[in-house]
Amino acid sequence: MATSQEILDALADYQVQCNDNKRLRKMQRDWSKLIHFVADDSGDLFTMNVVKGEIVSFEAGASGVPDIVVTTRSEFLCDMFWGDLNPSQKYLQGEIRVKATQEDIMRLDAITMIIWPDV
Amino acid sequence: MTELRKVLKLRTVVSTSAGMAIATSCYLAGLQIATVLVGELAWISVLVAGFFCLLSAMCFSELTAIYPSAAGIKLFIQHAFNEKVAIIIGMFYVVLGIAMVGAESYLLSSVLVTTIPLFGPVIDRYLWMFFFVFFVGFINIRGVVITGIAQDIMTYVMISFLIGVSIYSIATHGVDVAVASHSDRFTLSNVIQAAAVGVFLFVGYEWVAPLAEETTDYRLIGSGMLWAIGLLTLTYSLFTVGLYIGLTQEQIREQLSSATPIPHILLGRNLFGPVGAGLFVVMSVLASVTSFNSGLLNTSRFSYAMARDNVLPRVFSNLHPDHASPWVAIVFLSALSVAVSLLTLLTGQYFFLIMMAAALECFIYIVAAVCVIRLRRKYPDKERSFKVPLGDTIPAVTIVVFAGLLIGLFSDATRDYEGRVLFQNYWVAIAMAGFLLFTTAYTLTIVPIFKKKAQERASARVKRRPGRA
Repeated sequence: MATSQEILDALADYQVQCNDNKRLRKMQRDWSKLIHFVADDSGDLFTMNVVKGEIVSFEAGASGVPDIVVTTRSEFLCDMFWGDLNPSQKYLQGEIRVKATQEDIMRLDAITMIIWPDV
Repeated sequence: MTELRKVLKLRTVVSTSAGMAIATSCYLAGLQIATVLVGELAWISVLVAGFFCLLSAMCFSELTAIYPSAAGIKLFIQHAFNEKVAIIIGMFYVVLGIAMVGAESYLLSSVLVTTIPLFGPVIDRYLWMFFFVFFVGFINIRGVVITGIAQDIMTYVMISFLIGVSIYSIATHGVDVAVASHSDRFTLSNVIQAAAVGVFLFVGYEWVAPLAEETTDYRLIGSGMLWAIGLLTLTYSLFTVGLYIGLTQEQIREQLSSATPIPHILLGRNLFGPVGAGLFVVMSVLASVTSFNSGLLNTSRFSYAMARDNVLPRVFSNLHPDHASPWVAIVFLSALSVAVSLLTLLTGQYFFLIMMAAALECFIYIVAAVCVIRLRRKYPDKERSFKVPLGDTIPAVTIVVFAGLLIGLFSDATRDYEGRVLFQNYWVAIAMAGFLLFTTAYTLTIVPIFKKKAQERASARVKRRPGRA
């Protein structure tokens, strides 16, 4: 089970990778979402705010009314933020559950695909 | 359950489900039902088809309650059987479903060729067919999504229009049920055969299930499907009768053997003159564009997910650099639609695709019912916010009913108004079996190669997470 701090460290790296990727920023330039991540094994919650494709903030805890809620094991969250896990595969196995529109689910997966195309 | 900023309401779930099912080809299918049976009593077969579809909707509702996901169809088959079966059936259902666009674009082009002549019938035919597919492909690539409120307006306007016109047609022409009930065609066998075609009228209602993730309560999807089927049953029951009695016998005879079938346009013209015909043209365009747009949206996202899961070539996961849409999948599926449209144009066998879609729906309803029973055995304690009542009775009845309809459909022939055989329906079975063999062969031979390559890539890749390298 990944700790809250491990996930926050992964999120910090994820933020840098996303914001530094010009291709991703261009693709997601009209995408602004408040995302909640739920680690269902540890009970930890995280909030990430994306404004026009840029991750402007992230924090522990659930704040605001989300557009997207991602629920999975803490280990999967950590691996996903480090780019070591293909979110689509886990989603298709039912191991990652998402509450969002189909469009947002694909956009969320697109982040991993653009930054780490070999995953 | 966490609240989302935007959630779908029951109203939109119903309109999306019903909107998927309403298409231009439904008008012709309605006429076909009316002629298999007796026009004035066609509503009986529509009611029967609607009731059967209600049974299948209950099965889908339970499956959605267990797997409320856009990947639901793959998930429930995978958990009930295994991943290979899920891929085989998923691809079979999704790709064959898009072939329906062939019939839809052909029939929509018939409407537009007849009502909006531009350069001549042949050129116009190609023009409208290509324009229809390219237009929908284009808006899909641009990432244009029909909002909930737009879907609500379009669907409820279409349904209100069809019900209103049907009631007017019935009121002005009158229906003599007593005479119709003494017809030689009014037999139990014909009622069931027409009901098998009637299943086509509900094609796609279950495609609302992927929207489960946008609702506050997963049970909304189940309720929405049931309401949509009820609404569609009412609409089509009235419309098949209204259409049949609103056309002359000569028009019906001509429409069922015509290369440019436009029964609803003729009905509009008979009842309200050019204004009525114009209104039906607008309804046709709306029905075709919305159903194909939703179909392409769903199938292209499914293809994207399959490519990301190393089931389809990775190129299908390419996203448009500006609009973040799976443009390769959209282009491929649009090209496939054009190819089927051209084939339909060359052969004129649009009824073949209608029969295939009806058979495909019967097949997937059987699969859903089998999955309900298997999942109950495998995961009896898994949380279900909705469970089909009466134990396994309803899923079992669903299997028997749709297997019966499927066998009945395949063993019969499609006929015109005079009773002449257009084609033997076993050709539909052969075409479907051929495609099922293809998806099976693909899953057993090609998919393992993709999976192995993905595994090699993953093994060669250095993990980024600290301590995992």
